Parts: sequence; C-alpha cells; structure tokens
Amino acid sequence: MKMMIGFEVHQQLATKRKMYCDCPTDYRDAPPNTNICPICAGLPGAKPLPPNEQAVDAAIEIALMLGCEIVVDRPIYIQRKHYDYPDLPSGYQRTSSPIAVGGELGGVRIREVHLEEDPGQYDPTSGLVDFNRSGVPLVEIVTEPDMRSPEEARRFLRQLVRVLEYSGKVRPEAGGAMRADTNISIEGGARVEVKNINSIKGAYRAIKFEVMRQKAKLDRGETVTRETRAYLESQRITMPMRAKELEEDYRYIPDPDIFPLIIDRARVERIRASMVEPPHLRERRLVEQYGIEPSTASVIVSERELADLFEAIAASVDPKLTASWFRTKLKKVLNYMKLRAAEVRFTPGQMVELLRMVKEGEVTPEQGELVLRELVKKPDGPRLIAQRLGLGRIESAELRAAIEQAIKTNQEAVRDYLAGKREALHFLAGKVMELTRGRADPREIIELLRAELEGGSNDGE
Amino acid sequence: MDEVTKEKLEAIRRGELSIVENVERALERIEKLNPKINAFIEVNPEARAQAEELERKLKKGERLGKLAGLTIGVKSNINVLGLRATCASKTLENYVATYDAEVIRRVKAADGIIIGMTNMDEFACGSSGETSAFGPTDNPAALGHIPGGSSSGSAAAIAAGMCDLCLGTDTGGSIRNPASHCGIVGLKPTYGLVPRQGLIDLAMSLDQIGPLSPDVYGAALLLEVIAGRNPNECVMLDVRGVELADELNVDIRGMRIGVSPKFEELTELGVMEVIDGAIEKLHDLGAEIVEVDLPHLEKGLPAYYLIMSVEFFSATRKFDGRKYGKRIEEVCGEEVLRRIIRGRYISRKEYRGKYYQRALQVRTLIRRELMSALERVDVIVGPTVPKLPHKLGTKLTPMEMYAYDYLTVPANLAGICGGVVKAGEVNGIPVGLQIQGKMLGEKAVLRVMRAFEASA
Repeated sequence: MKMMIGFEVHQQLATKRKMYCDCPTDYRDAPPNTNICPICAGLPGAKPLPPNEQAVDAAIEIALMLGCEIVVDRPIYIQRKHYDYPDLPSGYQRTSSPIAVGGELGGVRIREVHLEEDPGQYDPTSGLVDFNRSGVPLVEIVTEPDMRSPEEARRFLRQLVRVLEYSGKVRPEAGGAMRADTNISIEGGARVEVKNINSIKGAYRAIKFEVMRQKAKLDRGETVTRETRAYLESQRITMPMRAKELEEDYRYIPDPDIFPLIIDRARVERIRASMVEPPHLRERRLVEQYGIEPSTASVIVSERELADLFEAIAASVDPKLTASWFRTKLKKVLNYMKLRAAEVRFTPGQMVELLRMVKEGEVTPEQGELVLRELVKKPDGPRLIAQRLGLGRIESAELRAAIEQAIKTNQEAVRDYLAGKREALHFLAGKVMELTRGRADPREIIELLRAELEGGSNDGE
Repeated sequence: MDEVTKEKLEAIRRGELSIVENVERALERIEKLNPKINAFIEVNPEARAQAEELERKLKKGERLGKLAGLTIGVKSNINVLGLRATCASKTLENYVATYDAEVIRRVKAADGIIIGMTNMDEFACGSSGETSAFGPTDNPAALGHIPGGSSSGSAAAIAAGMCDLCLGTDTGGSIRNPASHCGIVGLKPTYGLVPRQGLIDLAMSLDQIGPLSPDVYGAALLLEVIAGRNPNECVMLDVRGVELADELNVDIRGMRIGVSPKFEELTELGVMEVIDGAIEKLHDLGAEIVEVDLPHLEKGLPAYYLIMSVEFFSATRKFDGRKYGKRIEEVCGEEVLRRIIRGRYISRKEYRGKYYQRALQVRTLIRRELMSALERVDVIVGPTVPKLPHKLGTKLTPMEMYAYDYLTVPANLAGICGGVVKAGEVNGIPVGLQIQGKMLGEKAVLRVMRAFEASA
C-alpha cells in the first residue's frame, strides 16, 4: 500500500526572553500570569519590540543543521495568523514567512522553517488562561510528504528530535515541548491532516490509526475526503475537527508593527562557522574517520555529549576498542544508572587510561567494567580504583595454585569434563574466579584449566 | 489666536500665571462648556495635585520641562495610566489604562499636565465626531456643525479654550480634518517619527500621533516633546529628536510651494476660494508657487478604506469579549462594524489579490507620485477638506462621509507629514489650509504654517 506522510513540527526555542518582549520565558514554574507585560498580554495599544535576535539565530542554526538554505537578503515577513481562541491574547499569532527552505534529513525533504510565537495556556475545565507562555519563541519545521510508513515517520521524528537536541537551541523534551501536525494520504484517497500530536509515540499511533481508518474506508468502497482531524491521546484515535475550525481562514497579513526580517549572508556564515555538527552527518563522519560500524556510530551519536566524549577518547586510544566499549559497556552503565551522557563527570583522560590498562592486560575487560562503573559513580584515577577494588592481574603462581585447588576439590566436575561434558569446564572456571576474587582473566583460566585437565589425563595414561 | 501658547509659557515662567491657576481655569472652562461641546469624556482628577507639585518645583527654582504647566488633552485612544482609554466605544467603556503610552511618558517628563481624555469618533472610525458612543461633539467655531474627526474632542477642546494643547491621532486625516473645521492648528507628523507604543490601533501602517494647538508654536513644541525614536518599538524612523519650536520664524522667501490642479477638481467652490486666497498670500510673502501633477490623487481614498479596514479588522480581534468585557461586534456602532465586516471580507484568502494587494499597489503609486512631486518643491499646499462641515444630526451616506477624506488620506498612504492652519472662513465656518511636506519635512511645513499665521 502506497502512502505519503509529512509533518509540521513545532518546538520551543530555549531563549531567556520572549519573541517580541523582554518577559522571561519561564512559564512552568512561575505563578500564572506573572511573566507577562502589555505586549505579550496583548493589551490595547501595546506594540511588539523588534524580534528576539537570539531566537532568530537559533532558528537559522537549526535550519542549517537540517541542510536548509537560509532566505538571505530578502524581506521575511512576520505575518499575523488570525483565529479566535481564549489563549490568544490579540486574536492572532505571529508567524514568519519561511526563513529557510529546501533541507533534508534522513531522506526526508525539509520544505520550510518558520519562526512563530506560542500562545498562552487555556484550561477548558476551569476556563482560566495563563499568558506566561504567550510569546515564547517557536521554530516550525515543515517537511515534504516523503515518509512511506508509520515506522519511517517515527524514525524521522526521532532523528529530528535528536537534531534539535543536538543544537542545544530548543527547550529540553522533558517539558513535552514538541508539538506536531501530520498529513497522511494513502493511494486512492485524499490528504488528511491530523493535529494535536504531542510526542513521537503519539505521532506513530495517530498515523497507524489513520492508515487503518483510511484503508478500511477505501476497502469498503468509500472515499477518503480531504479533512482535518484531531488526535485524542487518551483514546489513541483521531476525530474530525468541528466544522467551525475547518472553515477557518487565517487571513494572513504582514504585521504592520514589525519591519520585515532581513538576514544577511555574513550572519548566516557566522552561525555556520560555530554551528553544532548535526548528528546524522556526524554519524557518517565517525564511520569514515574511525572505521567503526554504522550501528555503533549511531549509538555513539545518540547524545551529543556521548559523541563528544567518544571523540575526545578515540584521539588517544584505539578508536575501535573505544567504540566497542562505548556501545557495550559505557552505554550499559549509563542506562543502568539512568544517567545522560551530559551528566558524566569523569574526564576523557581517565577513560583513556582505563582502556590502556585493558589493552595492556593490566586488568581484564570484566574488571575494566567494574572500574568503569566506579568511574561513573565517583570519578578517580582508574588505577587507584582498581587497587581499591583489589583488582589487577594475578601472579601466575597464584593462579596456578587456584587452578590446582579447584581441580582437587571438584573431582566430580573433572570427571564430568573428561567424560565429555564441556559445561563442566565453566563450572570449574567459576570456582577459579571465586578463589581469585575475579582478578584473573576468564579466557586465561579456561585455557589453563583445559591444558591442565587434558595434560593431566595424558599423564594418567 | 496668535502665539497664545508661547505667551502663556512665558507668563508661567515669569510667575505672572501660576500653574495651579492655569489648571483651575482649564477645569472651570471644561466644567462650564463641556456639557454643550462634549469635548471631554473624562477629566483627570489628579491634575490639580500635579499642578501644585510643579508649582513647588518652580518655587524652589527648579527648571521645568518644555511644557511647564501646560494643560494637555489626550485623545481617548491613547493609554494614560489610571484614566479610561475608551476609544469612545462601548467596547472599552470602562477600560482603565494600565500603563502610559510612550508619548504620555514624554509629555509627563516635559512637565505637561494631562487634563483629561477627549471625545472622538469610535475607534477613530469617522470624520465627523458623531460616531462616539459618548455622543457627538459640537464645533465651538461653528456651533451646530460637526467639528470633524476623528480627533473631534481634541480639536473642539482647543477651539473652545478648554486646555492648552491636545494630542490627537491621524490615520486618514483625523488631526487635520477637525483642525480645519475648528479653525485651529494641527499637524500629522511623518510616519514613524512619533512612537505609537500605547496607541490603540485603527490601522497600524497609517496611524500617527500628533499635536493640535491654538497656534503653530504650540504644535511645534508638543511635537518636539513627543517625537524621536523609541528603542522599544519596531516600526520607527531612526531619528533622535527634533528642534522645531525655536526655528519657526524664518521667512519663506524663495521657498518652492507646489499646488495641484487636482485640488480644485475635488473641492467645493467656496472652500477653494479661501484656499486660493491663502496661496496668493504665500506668494506675496515671497514663496514661489509651482504647479505639480498629482494625477492619481483621488484613487487614494478607495485604497485607504481597503487597507485601513483590513488592518482594523486585525487590530480589533483582541476585543473578543473575553478580556475587556464586551465583544466589539456586539456593542460597537455601525461605522465600526462596517469597517470590521469589510476588513474581514476583503482579507479572505480568495479576495486578497483582488482587493488588499491591489490597494497596496495603489498605495505605492500614490507614494511615488507625492514623493516625486516633493522632489520638485519644498511643500505642497492646498485645501484640507474638500467641503464644509455638515450640520450635526444630518444623515450622510458612508460614501458622502468618506468623501471628507479625499485630500487627507494621501499623506497617510505616503507616510509624509502635513499641517493645517486656518486659512479663512466661508459663512463663518473655518477653512483650513493644508501644507504637506516631505518625509521628516516638518521644519519646512511648520515654517510655512508660521509665516502664514504671522501674516494674518
């Protein structure tokens, strides 16, 4: 079944001040209607201040990260989009004409990037409106309908969110700040728009539901008409929007109270020069530069700070070893401790030292992981940690003694092994590990055990 | 009415007139005349206390600002903290401003005393003063006639001597039109010269705040106080401040003054005769009269009404009945409603190209036409209003009403400045001479206005 899916994604920009006034953007912790002024409350006679330059820069950077071309040296109009809703203090929302066009992310074309302002927050139950959020800058990203399945759509959104997080220019996802509208059409039907999506999971569910709904209609010989629907998170379904909302004509006019925005090339180049490398490009580069697996690179770039840490370490120690440690061990420890890479406090040098100890055989990989766990919990020199934990390669005499001891006290297992039960060897190895308190390399233990047992049986003959 | 503002300021400075006395006289006159003229909607209860405060400063030998103790009436679409900003509408009937407009901050900083809020056409939608929800204003200079609008109360207050100076707003002639009908001085500054922060919109791309005054000096002085860029505002010219009042008395010998045959086509005979006489006088004063061509001037009117209506529709969306008590469409007068409906209609997606974009093109045309004429001359002089004010209560069709604006809207569309001085009378009804200048050409405009005033 052929289908086309596109998105309009909105995300709040992480600026200190609002888009057209100097009010703080904190709307969650501040008591209702305290971070407001005549401008963002839309009082009669209030005029906007010039657009927040920080927000404009942020939107430019995000657009560049998405491979867009910035609209340069041409007027970008701030438009008034009129609609009637309690959270909208002036009866219109300001939204820019595109500040950038023609990007691409993971095979999905980015049509346009806009700057917008958030409305206030309306609680339909109590009928109260809080304008603290009114005027918080938003970036709007519009894609072409290039996704072909709900899974592809979900993958794209994940990638997009990663780019936005990488930029460091949007508010952290924790606030649920992502909002999306999606349009879905399947072959033989018209385009359906779904609004009111607040998460990647929600988008995936909404699209799955829509595809099913539309397909069922077509299968029954009905037609799918062009319409706008709302996603209901609680019931995981989409519903037609009320007729009144559909008739809406936003009557866009350029806001006469704001000069059109003009972005010059020097500004774009300045931002490009200091721009964060977008994750999808960084992933590609890591594969090429360090010769690591694409799947590993993907894990490493999942967080900007993780990738930064990787590159800092891979500069001084075998990149492939580093990559495999990041993927299998560091990620595991971080996940277990519910930490983000940004919260890691050990220095790259400390992990370099640890990896060198592993490479030189000073500690086993298993011991190394124990050290890493400590390193994450309470950073210190890895050698000191290893000492404190009583780790370190065992003297070979001690190891041999342990092996003899294990064989002597576990004759039954020895017999089993010699009778062909291979697992018995692992049991014996475990006993050696116990005796050496984990200081010996399991691979070495197995080797020594095998040599001892097989050699021993030869002796007996 | 020659130089009354200048003389009063000097009297205050010399201590011959106390500021408290000045305020009391204004309040007395308002009390006496307002029931008949209806120029004020509300009087500032703090005015007297403010006068006493200024008086104390003066006695201590402190230097007062440029408006030292003058009484200033403010059009009711400008926010004055603590006073009602009604826009003469039921929509904002009880709306008390929560902040001072930028111009008010400047007036207060210059030691002007806000005497009260003046009557106006509802939301500045009108050219007669009759659309106010607080009742029409009479014309003190021609009782029983409209005072013009929409700054009707401000013009009438000056004409009746109820206060020293007034602030008005001019979107399509709303300062110049009533100044002409009331026989006083009014000036619409260049678009972007005076901050609009705190002005309740009629049409954002056309609105401009300006002075109404009994004399040219007062208008120049008040403009000086309110003009200049406001960093907290987007659409403004980058002009720091202007010195105007002290450079008025320069003769106009050798100035090039443009007149257009178009004016005669659009204007009533009696009015035109007075204007011709005024132009003759400017010639006698040494100006060179040059004919300029303004072939599309009358097309400004329909373009103006379309652009203004679209912007007004947008500006009034906040009066949705949730925050300010009443939904505008439910309580406003018919002219306001007509403009909202027109704006809503022509801004529809399918009509944009047909009306709004078209009107913007005409606006560009008019702007080019006036700009190129003003390259050849220093100012353009002609009538302000093409006809005399009608009698209060006469019913006019909307088109008849809009026809008052033919000669004033072009300056707004072009963003240029324009001033009005009394040119003479027709049957005892004042007729104002309009002097239009280049962008930021206020100095030249005021110079011609003053020369004409001084010759009377």
